[in-house]
Amino acid sequence: MQRALLESLLLAGLAGVLGSWIVLRRLAFYTHGVGTAAFPGLVVAGPAGVAPQVAALGAALLYAGGVEGLRRTRRVAQDAATGLVLVGALALGAVLASDVFETGAGVDRLLFGSLVGLSDRDLWLTAGVLAAAAALELGLRRSWLAQGFDPATAQALGTRPRIADALLLAAVAAAAVVALDAVGALLVTAVLVIPAATVRLVAGSVATLQLGTAALAAVEGVAGLWIAYELNVGPGPATAVLGGAVFAVVAALRRPA
Amino acid sequence: MRVEGLSGGCAPGMRVEGLSGGYAPGSDALTGVGFALEAGTIAAVLGPNGGGKTTLFRALLGELPVQRGLVELEGRPAYVPQTDRTRLDFPVSALDVVLMGAYGRTPAWRRIARADRDAARAALDRVGLAAEARRRFGALSGGQRQRILIARALLQDSPLVLLDEPLSGVDAASAARIEQVFEELRAERRVLLVATHDVEQARRWDRVLCVNGEQVAFGPPAETLTTDVLRRTYGPELVVLEGGRRAVAVEHHEH
Repeated sequence: MQRALLESLLLAGLAGVLGSWIVLRRLAFYTHGVGTAAFPGLVVAGPAGVAPQVAALGAALLYAGGVEGLRRTRRVAQDAATGLVLVGALALGAVLASDVFETGAGVDRLLFGSLVGLSDRDLWLTAGVLAAAAALELGLRRSWLAQGFDPATAQALGTRPRIADALLLAAVAAAAVVALDAVGALLVTAVLVIPAATVRLVAGSVATLQLGTAALAAVEGVAGLWIAYELNVGPGPATAVLGGAVFAVVAALRRPA
Repeated sequence: MRVEGLSGGCAPGMRVEGLSGGYAPGSDALTGVGFALEAGTIAAVLGPNGGGKTTLFRALLGELPVQRGLVELEGRPAYVPQTDRTRLDFPVSALDVVLMGAYGRTPAWRRIARADRDAARAALDRVGLAAEARRRFGALSGGQRQRILIARALLQDSPLVLLDEPLSGVDAASAARIEQVFEELRAERRVLLVATHDVEQARRWDRVLCVNGEQVAFGPPAETLTTDVLRRTYGPELVVLEGGRRAVAVEHHEH
């Protein structure tokens, strides 16, 4: 349980740093896609003798490459390309899990997460991604802000938006992969999107958004763990339902008269 | 070829020769552009939507994927987009936006220098919006937002400023302030290249460049803005009024 708590707090840090940019830069669907696309990678990881995070990251990068490749053909719209690859990845994972591989992890756990059985390596990986995300934030924050706010001018302002955006997508993919243990392939957005989307409703600056998101994600993560323990459900669904409820309340309170 | 930082015998400003280019090989959006602007010049760029004004600006900014010809600039240009190209839902204040003008000279790991913060407040004052520094950018009026974007370009302190329809749809007070800033920048020997649809506005400035897929004409307004040139520039979008003494290009904004 201590490891689970620590993992939740590390993920809250990631939500604060990257979740805010995911929401500001409209990358929520991409984040969901990366998480879902990692599913077949997780299924084959055990039987193939590969670390699950490595397999998941490989699958996520294949997903990103597939979407980009389809989009560049200009024969498929970006949302259609995302949907196609997303459904393909999920279906492939389901087929592999049910008919091809005997996965020890169980499909439920892969899809919806489990904080039971977290290893030290899992925690170190999450901490490493958090440190890398913080370093990227320090170096690229202005590029991400300029490109998000005013893409027509970002380069003329002296930032390097293409490199910065590529690194942002890679960082989000890595964050989604290390969040898989806790919330599962289908509910990565419960950690990386919902808290930031909630705080976004009230935040007046990017710094406020990031600090508020980290705090809310920590509270929701710990509360989600407690609910999961008490009700004997997966932590992913518990955190997602709690996050969705908090979002609904804040949105209702912020609704213009 | 594109060169920033003119020196030696060249007059400060910008020089363009035989510029052609587009977004993919073999499909030029703009061809045959050549002109020179000396320091302290305001030039209008006239042309229909899709006529190449934005392509020209992207070439001058070094962002056009396919580009041929020569572009010589005194320095890195500042660019002022149309305000509707910005994200109004972003949680940034007017001052935050102006401070973006210092990004190019501030290392990523450093805070923006106090001198630049002071300069940002001075730029806000110059566009008449010092009192709005803390207001959220998206909560300002269209004219105020345009002035904020101009203040950001002021903070960049570039000898060349490219402005994309900065006076379109702004209120009278903002337009007057913006034109006043233009005059100040001209007096500071800067070069302003202003994309516009307003032919009458272009007549008040120093030079006019007309483009419609290619360069149609370039020169002083009195010699350049003839009905024939305007017809070749705008085609059916041109409306001639008052027995030929006045011409208006019909605006079609792309949103």
